[in-house]
Amino acid sequence: MADGSTLEELIGTRTAVSTVVVERGPVGFFADCVFDESPESRLPSAAAGAGLDGIVAPPTFPIAFEGWGRFPELQNEAEQGPGMMAALAPLMAKGGLILHGEQSFHYHRPVVVGDVLRGEGTIVDAYAKESKGKTMTFVVTETVWTDAESGNPVVTSRFNIIHRI
Amino acid sequence: MTTLTTQTAAVGLTAPVLRHTLTRTDLVRYAGASGDFNPMHHDEVKAAAAGQPSVFGHGMLSMGFLGSAITSFAGAGSVVDYSVRFARQTWPGEELITAVTVTALRDEDGSALADLEVRLTNADGEEKVVGTATVRLASGS
Repeated sequence: MADGSTLEELIGTRTAVSTVVVERGPVGFFADCVFDESPESRLPSAAAGAGLDGIVAPPTFPIAFEGWGRFPELQNEAEQGPGMMAALAPLMAKGGLILHGEQSFHYHRPVVVGDVLRGEGTIVDAYAKESKGKTMTFVVTETVWTDAESGNPVVTSRFNIIHRI
Repeated sequence: MTTLTTQTAAVGLTAPVLRHTLTRTDLVRYAGASGDFNPMHHDEVKAAAAGQPSVFGHGMLSMGFLGSAITSFAGAGSVVDYSVRFARQTWPGEELITAVTVTALRDEDGSALADLEVRLTNADGEEKVVGTATVRLASGS
């Protein structure tokens, strides 16, 4: 178990900086996989008819940004942080179970196919609690996604991990 | 079909209920779609070795399915805020059932918004995901 001071020191850690491209294939397939039948997530005509600037991503699609759209030539290696593993590796080394506790998305505008977004992830909270003889460690990461061209905010994601041992 | 608009919105209005019985194939497909290849969600051998009764669903698949109930109700691209807590694991063979209810209507910066209470349960009423959402209301009939 990381002690309290070590956990506190995690707060403010830059986990990752990514530039991602939102593409039609991954958006449509993601919609299929979460059973979202919206034609606006598949057809340009339906998206335009709804007044959207492009085929729109389902609300939880930001979880897939980096898996599908993080092309190497768009990344600035000098900016890279240690990733979530900075927080997770010392916890995983102790065994126990890592759970996804909470998740949120806050949108400034819809995410649409063709977007190029820049994300900056930061550990914004880290603390431990004792409960029924078990130690629960909470690590909250916030990723702020902005339009890579204009710098305008698009969507902010908060990811709350619980480690239980 | 969008059913929540500035015309229809009312506190207490509920969204059409979506139901889906989870399969292992759903988990494999979601692993690919999301990029989350944690073996607990697709590798029965590793899940059993970790003391789990079987593979179990990604929390984000549950949140995604519940999100589909929101977009089918309020429209694709309408979500402003969507925030959940993962209460319990989901298991293959379980029927997942969405519940979305309007809790408040308000205006913010000239936009008509609806606050929603959102919940995903199984057929026994066991809570899997609980949370809130805010959507921007489409004008219309």
